[in-house]
Amino acid sequence: MKASKALAWFAIAIGVIYFFVPLIGTFEFSMRMRRGAYSFDAYQSVFSDAQFQSTFGFSMLMALFTIIFGMLLVVPTAYWVRLRLPQMRPVIEFLTLMPLVIPAIVIVFGYLRLYNSSSWIPFTGSIQGTNMLLVLSYITLSLPYMYRSVDTAMRAIDVRTLTEAAEILGAKWPTIMFRCIFPNVMSGVLSGAFITFAIVMGEFTMAALLNRPAFGPYLQLVGANRAYEPSALAIIAFAITWFSMGLLQLVSRFSKMAPSKA
Amino acid sequence: MSTASTSFIDRRTVVDWLGIAPFMIFAMMFLILPTLYLVTGAFFTPDGQFTFKNIADLFTPSILSAYWISIRVSVASSIGGAVIGFFLAWAIVMGGLPGWIRSGLLTFSGVASNFAGVPLAFAFLATLGRTGLVTVLLRDWVGFNLYGTGFNILSFFGLTITYMFFQIPLMVLILTPALDGMKKEWREAAEILGASTWQYWRMVALPILWPSLMGTTLLLFANAFGAIATAYALTGSSLNIVPILLYAQIRGDVLHNANLGYALALGMIVITGVSNILYILLRIRAERWQK
Amino acid sequence: MSFLVLEHIKKSFGQTQVVKDFNMSIEKGEFVSFLGPSGCGKTTVLRMIAGFENPSDGAISINGKNQNKLKTNQRNIGMVFQAYALFPNMNVFDNVAFGLKIAGMNKAEIDKRVKEMLKLISLDHLADRYPYQMSGGQQQRVALARALAPKPQVLLLDEPLSALDAKIRVSLREEIRQIQRQLGITTVFVTHDQEEALSISDRIVVMNAGRADQIGAPSEIYNRPATRFVASFVGTLNMIDATVADPAANTVKVGENTVKLKESIGALKGGDKISIALRPEAGSLSESAKGDTSITGTVVLSHFLGSVIRTKIDVGGNLISFDMFNSPDTVQPQPGETVTLRFNASDFLIVRD
Repeated sequence: MKASKALAWFAIAIGVIYFFVPLIGTFEFSMRMRRGAYSFDAYQSVFSDAQFQSTFGFSMLMALFTIIFGMLLVVPTAYWVRLRLPQMRPVIEFLTLMPLVIPAIVIVFGYLRLYNSSSWIPFTGSIQGTNMLLVLSYITLSLPYMYRSVDTAMRAIDVRTLTEAAEILGAKWPTIMFRCIFPNVMSGVLSGAFITFAIVMGEFTMAALLNRPAFGPYLQLVGANRAYEPSALAIIAFAITWFSMGLLQLVSRFSKMAPSKA
Repeated sequence: MSTASTSFIDRRTVVDWLGIAPFMIFAMMFLILPTLYLVTGAFFTPDGQFTFKNIADLFTPSILSAYWISIRVSVASSIGGAVIGFFLAWAIVMGGLPGWIRSGLLTFSGVASNFAGVPLAFAFLATLGRTGLVTVLLRDWVGFNLYGTGFNILSFFGLTITYMFFQIPLMVLILTPALDGMKKEWREAAEILGASTWQYWRMVALPILWPSLMGTTLLLFANAFGAIATAYALTGSSLNIVPILLYAQIRGDVLHNANLGYALALGMIVITGVSNILYILLRIRAERWQK
Repeated sequence: MSFLVLEHIKKSFGQTQVVKDFNMSIEKGEFVSFLGPSGCGKTTVLRMIAGFENPSDGAISINGKNQNKLKTNQRNIGMVFQAYALFPNMNVFDNVAFGLKIAGMNKAEIDKRVKEMLKLISLDHLADRYPYQMSGGQQQRVALARALAPKPQVLLLDEPLSALDAKIRVSLREEIRQIQRQLGITTVFVTHDQEEALSISDRIVVMNAGRADQIGAPSEIYNRPATRFVASFVGTLNMIDATVADPAANTVKVGENTVKLKESIGALKGGDKISIALRPEAGSLSESAKGDTSITGTVVLSHFLGSVIRTKIDVGGNLISFDMFNSPDTVQPQPGETVTLRFNASDFLIVRD
C-alpha cells in the first residue's frame, strides 16, 4: 500500500500549492507598495480610505438586515413545514434551491425589470426602496444556506416531539417558539448567519446593478484604478471569509457537544 | 383524532397554509415572478407580440460565440476542478493520511469555495499577472519567462485556472461524503476474489462513484456558467462570456433590444437548469446504490 | 491430515496484543466455529487467514503451503462478510461471476458455473436483480455463492448472520451447513452466538481475550467446559459459592445442604471456599426422581416462559436458576415455597479459574 500513500501525499502537495501560492502571492504583492521595501502601506491606504469605511459599513449593515429578516422568514417557515405541512417539504426545498440554479445576474435582472420606478412596486424609485430590494435580493441569494442549516438543526432536535412535549406541559406557541425551538436551533441559525455574512460582504453583481455603495463594487473600482490596494483588499476579504467560516466551525463543534437526540 | 366540527377542521387547515404564506409570498415576489417575467419576455417583441425571433436571434455569431466561450470556460474549469478535487478527496478519505490533514483540507475547502468574486481575481492577478510573484520568481530563480511563452492571466486559460480555485474545494466538499460511503468491505471482497487494485477501481469503485463524479462535475459546470464577478474583475469585457454580455445589456442595452436580453437570460437559465436536473438525477441514482 | 494449520499466531496493534499464541489444526472438509465475545480476537484471526492482516508472529499454512508471504488476492480463499458486501453496481449474476472473470475464465464457462452456484443457493430466478432490490438473507446467499464460485480451498465467514432477522438466521445457518457438507469445503465460521456455533459446527474454538480457552466438539464444550469463561459463555450457568465439607468424601456445603460431587476436590481442605457450577436444566423437582444428592431452598420467583418455567431458588445466599419443561400437569412453584431439587453428583462442575 506504500505506493498509494505516496500518491496521496502528492495529491495533497498539489492542493497545497494550488491554494497557498495565490494567497502568498497576493500577500506579497500587497506588501510591495513602498518602493524597495516590504511594508503595510497598502493596508494603511485601504483602511484610511473613507470609501472603504463607508462601503464596508454599508455592506455590514446590509448583512445584518439580511440575517435578521432572513432568519425571521426562514426559521418559522422551516418549523411550520416540519410540524404542520410535511407534504410541502419537497416544494419548499425546491424553492430554496432555486437561487443556486438561477444565476444571480438573472435574478437581479428580473428585479430591475419588475420593480423599477415605473412598475407596480417601485422599489428602485427611492434610495430606501433600493436598499430594501438589495436586502431582499441578498436574502434570496443566501436562502439555500440559511434554510438548509436551520432545517438540519431542526431535524437533529426533532421539533415535532419537542413541541408536543411543550404543549402537554401547557406552553402556548410564542413560548414554544422562542423558548424551546429558537434556542435549540441556534447552532443552525448561527451557521446560516455566518455563511450569509461571508456571501453578502463579498457580493458584487446585485450591488453593482442596483447601484448601491456596497463593498463588492468598491472592490471592483479599486481594482480598476489602483495597483497595490486591490491585493491588500483581497487579503482582507479572504480574512473575513476565513473568520466567518472559523466561527461556523466553532458553532458546529459546540452543537456537537450538546446532547444529541436519543 | 378530535371530534371537532368540520368548520374547526377547515379553520385549522387554513391556519396551516397561512403559516407558510410569508415564505410563499417572498418566493413568488423575489424568485418566481422575476424569473417568469424574463422567461416570458423572451418570447415577445418590444411591441408586445408573441414571437420566437428573440430565441432565433440568440444564434447570431456574436451571441453564439459568447455562449460558446462560457461553455468552454465552464467545461474546462469544471473538469479540471473535478479531476484535482477527486484526487484530493481520494487522498484524504482513502490515502492513509493522518487525520488532521483531512479536517484541515475540509475546513480550508469550506473557506475557499466561498472565496470567489472580485477578490479572487485580484489574488490571481497578484500571483500570475505580469508582475505577479510567481511570474517574477520563475524569471529570477529559474530563468523562465512565463509571459514570453504567450501565457497571459487575462485570458481563457487564466480565467479557467482562477475559477478552479473555488471549483476544486467544492468538488472536495461534495465528493468526500460520497467516498466515505465506499464500504471497505467492497475492496476486501474484490481482493479476496482475486482482484488487483486496478481491477477493483475499474470494475467496482469507479462504476459506483461515476454518478457522483459526473453529477458533481455538472454542478461545477453550472456554478461556473452563472459566475460573473470574477470574470468581470479579471478579464473585464475582453473575454465575452454570457454573464458579461448580459451585464452590459442590463447596464446599457448594448443589444438594442430589451427582449433579446430576456432571451439571453432564458438561455442561461436553460443551461444551468438542465445541468442541475441532471445532477439531481445522478445523485438519486448514486444514493440508491449506496444503501 | 491437517489442511489449515495456524501455529503460534500472535497479533499486536501498537501496544495492544489482540491475539496471544493461537494454535489450531483444521482437517479438510471440517466446519470449525470461532466463538467468543466482541474483542476476543476471533475476527482478527480470521482476517489473518484471509491475508487482510499480517500476523506479528507465527505461521499459517493451507494444504502444506505457507501463506504468510502471499497477498490476499493470491490465496484462493472465499469470504463472506457480515455486511454482505455485494457490489452494488452489479446484478446477482455479475456479482457471482466476479471472481471467475478475474481468473480469466471464458464466457461460456462463467455462465455455466454461475448458473450452477445460483441453483445451489436456490436463487436462479433472481439473476438479474440488484443488491438494493433484495432482502438481507437473499444478499447473504448471493455473497456465499460469489465466494464459492471460484472453488476456493478454504471458506471464511465473518459473523455472516449477525445482521439478519432471527428466523432467517436459523434457516440460513442450516443452509450454509448443508452446502458446506455437499461441497466438502474446509470452513471457518466466526460468531458470538453460541447457539449458532453449537448447532452447526464439527468443532468449536472458544476464544477469550486473544487466547483459545477450549477447542472441541459442541457437546464437549457444553458438557465439560474447561474454564470458568467457557462454562459461563456457552449456555447459562449457575455459579455457586460453596465451602468444602469433606475432601475425602468429595462433599461440599451449600448453605445448609451437603452436596456430593463426582469430581475430586483435590488439594483443598475442609472449610475452604470453592466455586461449583450448575446448569439450570440439571436436576428435578419431582419426588420420584433418582439422584445421589439434593438441595433444598426457598423459591424467590418463578417465570412462565411458554415451553419452559424458570424458577429462581435461594439456597444459602446463592440465587440458583432452575429450568423445567412445562407440561399440562406441572405445578408452577410459588414464591416463598420450600422446594427440594434432586441431582446427580455429575451435574456439578468444579470451576477453577
